Amino acid sequence: MANVFAVQVFFILFRECLEAVIIVSVLLSFLKQSLGQPHQDQAIYRRLRRQVWAGSITGIVCCLIIGGAFIGVFYGLGHDIWSNAEQLWEGIFYLIATIIVTVMGLALLRINKTKEQWRIKIAKALVEKNKHGKKSRLLGNWARRYAMFLLPFITTMREGVEAVVFVGGVSLGYPATAFPLPVFTGMVAGLTCGYLIYRGGNVLSIQLFLIASTCVLYLIAAGMFSKSIWDLQYYVFQMRVGSDVAEEGSGAGSYNILQTVWHVNCCNAETDNGWDVFNAILGWENTGTYGSVISYNVYWIFIMLCVAYMLWEERSGRKSLRERMLVVMAKVPGLSWYAKPKLAVLQENPEDIVRQVHSGLFNEEPVVEQQMVEMK
Amino acid sequence: MLPYLGYLLLLLLSKPLRAKEVVYDFNVTWVTANPDGLADRKVVGINGQWPLPVIEVDKGDQLVVNMYNGLGDKSTSIHFHGMYQNGTNEMDGASMVTQCPVAPGSSITYNFTVNQNGTYWYHCHTDYCYPDGYRQALIVHDNNSYFANEYEEEFTVTLSDWYHELAEDIKPEFMSVYNPTGAEPIPNSWLFNDTQGMSLSVKPNTTYLLRLVNIAAFTAQYFYIEDHNFTIVEIDGVYTEPTEANLLYVAVAQRYSVLLTTKDTADKNYAIVTVVDSTLLDTITPDLQLNHTNWLEYDASATKPQANITVAESSDLSPFDDATLIPYDHMPLLENPTVTVNVAVVMDNLDNGKGYAFLNDISYTAPKVPTLYSVMSAGDLATDATVYGDFTHTQVVDHMDIVEIILNNNDTGSHPFHLHGHVFQVVDRYPPYGSDFFEFADAGIPQPYDPNNHSAFPAYPPRRDTIVVPPAGYVVLRFRADNPGVWIFHCHIDWHLMQGLAMTFVEAPLMIQEKLTIPADHYAACVASDVEHEGNAAGNTVDLLDLSGQNQQPGWIPDGFTTRGIVSMVFTVLSAILGMGSIVLYGLSDLKHAKKPETQAEVSGQGVQGGQDDEYQD
Repeated sequence: MANVFAVQVFFILFRECLEAVIIVSVLLSFLKQSLGQPHQDQAIYRRLRRQVWAGSITGIVCCLIIGGAFIGVFYGLGHDIWSNAEQLWEGIFYLIATIIVTVMGLALLRINKTKEQWRIKIAKALVEKNKHGKKSRLLGNWARRYAMFLLPFITTMREGVEAVVFVGGVSLGYPATAFPLPVFTGMVAGLTCGYLIYRGGNVLSIQLFLIASTCVLYLIAAGMFSKSIWDLQYYVFQMRVGSDVAEEGSGAGSYNILQTVWHVNCCNAETDNGWDVFNAILGWENTGTYGSVISYNVYWIFIMLCVAYMLWEERSGRKSLRERMLVVMAKVPGLSWYAKPKLAVLQENPEDIVRQVHSGLFNEEPVVEQQMVEMK
Repeated sequence: MLPYLGYLLLLLLSKPLRAKEVVYDFNVTWVTANPDGLADRKVVGINGQWPLPVIEVDKGDQLVVNMYNGLGDKSTSIHFHGMYQNGTNEMDGASMVTQCPVAPGSSITYNFTVNQNGTYWYHCHTDYCYPDGYRQALIVHDNNSYFANEYEEEFTVTLSDWYHELAEDIKPEFMSVYNPTGAEPIPNSWLFNDTQGMSLSVKPNTTYLLRLVNIAAFTAQYFYIEDHNFTIVEIDGVYTEPTEANLLYVAVAQRYSVLLTTKDTADKNYAIVTVVDSTLLDTITPDLQLNHTNWLEYDASATKPQANITVAESSDLSPFDDATLIPYDHMPLLENPTVTVNVAVVMDNLDNGKGYAFLNDISYTAPKVPTLYSVMSAGDLATDATVYGDFTHTQVVDHMDIVEIILNNNDTGSHPFHLHGHVFQVVDRYPPYGSDFFEFADAGIPQPYDPNNHSAFPAYPPRRDTIVVPPAGYVVLRFRADNPGVWIFHCHIDWHLMQGLAMTFVEAPLMIQEKLTIPADHYAACVASDVEHEGNAAGNTVDLLDLSGQNQQPGWIPDGFTTRGIVSMVFTVLSAILGMGSIVLYGLSDLKHAKKPETQAEVSGQGVQGGQDDEYQD
């Protein structure tokens, strides 16, 4: 199963697609609020809406092309080298994947918050566009004319490339056959979920769905973390034994008995059918080593501590860890380009920007919605 | 009166001839040797010499070996391989079986009558000491052999493997969690008469007796002489009907005597070829030289070409099948065994991760008291195998029992098994030597012996003291228990003996008690080594059936979940559940952020949304 369906890939695609959908939906609702009212020019509204769709879809297509090339190059250059020391690389890649999934996973549960942040981000971008547009008339006019195309285009492409890099990092241990299915299903699930959110489906049931999938995501991450430790330990064992380990199958000698907490002479994730599913989702190995068992527990404890901290952070209204990290990063020369815009979004007064957007974006149009925004 | 007097005179004259005493004084010390020209190493020398002296006696002689252990750091002993020791079981030399190890600074005297003939060898039999060079041929000359007048001169040829490391330094890597398959240490080189590339100088048209002895620790070798046939006349001290052969497979501890008649012309030298059985070696590095050439030298000035070996694999060679030989005395097949021992060779790992060897499920673990001394101190209980411990794998047999050993091999390697104190009849072996010998070496499906379906037993089965069990095959052996004593039956690959591939026969224990007197210096060796010499296998002298404290093999690897596994599994599941619980908590707390988008959706979605809400709720 792991050779056909890389579960991590599914979740990354799911999350990135959801995010893309949210961007598009936020844009669409802006348009709707600003221009989509019955008394306004429906032609302009439809044109801009088409632009949003065109931009998003072009962005996704571009990122697919870039991503495809990226993964192709990764595989073409590296996979043979990595497969020679399978356990070592698997261990390292699982470790990287665990870190990626862990960092981005909990954000999935702040989907409503994320949506809000995107609203601000986009609004801010629109305001910026308006300001800078004056510098070059030609470019300014063009950018203004196609703002509703460029914005979703750039954001979806950026999110997409991010997804591709994550997928690449997470899945180098897998054969190429493990990609198509999770990529496809992940996208479908992400788009569906995003659509439900856009249509304003039952917030609770959507949230429950997200919670459930996050739980699965973290189960996978814990398993991957445990498995990465297992792989690294096994690699060391294998190095010392030599090639003989593979000869032993599941039996005695196929594992280091001195590090073993349990061992069953069956259910080998590498060789026995069905158990690779457990391996992919829960990190099952037919040998539990001290390293793998302890790391699995430690991972969950770490997650619990993180959650506790973040909840405390939210409730106490302190600067979030993310914000503080961004502040630090903004001071590092190489990283400031990345950190500053994100920081700006966080630090800006959200209501201000949104108001600016509604009042200033299409200033030839009458400001109808302003009152409504203010009421919130 | 006169004829009687003449007879008496003859008896008096002949007696010293027949029963001379041959005394060897062995001071055993470390010396340095470099027999293969590749590396100096520490070897066990005798009287400052290595190679060691060949012990030579005539049939009927009294052999006395006074050994002083001057090694300083290692215990030792001498086993005279193939000697029946009938009535002198205490002289057999196997540590923790018939004696205590002789500690550094101690002495021991071996003193026994050699009432047998042929080609033997002697070697250390304490732990794993003979790969360090402590082994050499022992020849018992017999002027009355049926072929005594057929040869002009005799040569003794020893074949051996050679390690550059001390066995005690090899052991930690061999018996290691990182060697789970129990891959045997690969020798660094192979020796022929403790050297390489030597010549046996021969005259044309002459018959020689060649005594071949494999004194190696591990590997068997094929042996042949280019363009020469020879006649087998002895195996392991038992004369055989003269049998023509051109290729022999000499396993560790086996001996062959062959008559070799040289060619009429002396213009050319011929290669004596030895080929290592490479199926025994798990890894063969390119620098390992498995084929060796020595020469039958007709003309010292002629060239000595290297042998041209035509087979790609040593297993392509098809050696003479020793199971088809007929003993010269035509001793008939021992019928109707009274005791049958059915054991299988198994290689497996125990819970310390190291590889062990088993006969059935017992890996021989030396007792705390040498088994012979347990016999001597056990009184009437000596007939109860319990006394000898659970891990010596002891089989008690009565005097004159006909013992049948069915030895199945569940392992895919071949094993040269040796029985002390006896030669056994080889009544069946499968697969036989030849092209099928390694048939099951790869497939690995053991072919156990079926008493109801086997090839016909020979009328006059060959007898020897060391027999090769084929990979995944079997041998059936029989012997008459006519030699009261404690005899160990073991694989002669020293690494396998280290792993416990052995069992013990205690033969007529009550007769042992009657007939045997343990010399004082043997018991003194125990005191010097701090080894108990009374009581059962656990050293218990009060209750001989109480084995608490006995030496044991490590535990079996548990299959599946033990307490520790279950506990850790429970904690693992618990932490996963709690962790997910925290995620759920965190997720639900996001709902407070949801207010804004909800109102916004109301604004933007307007009328469309009401109907679709329900659809997505479930």
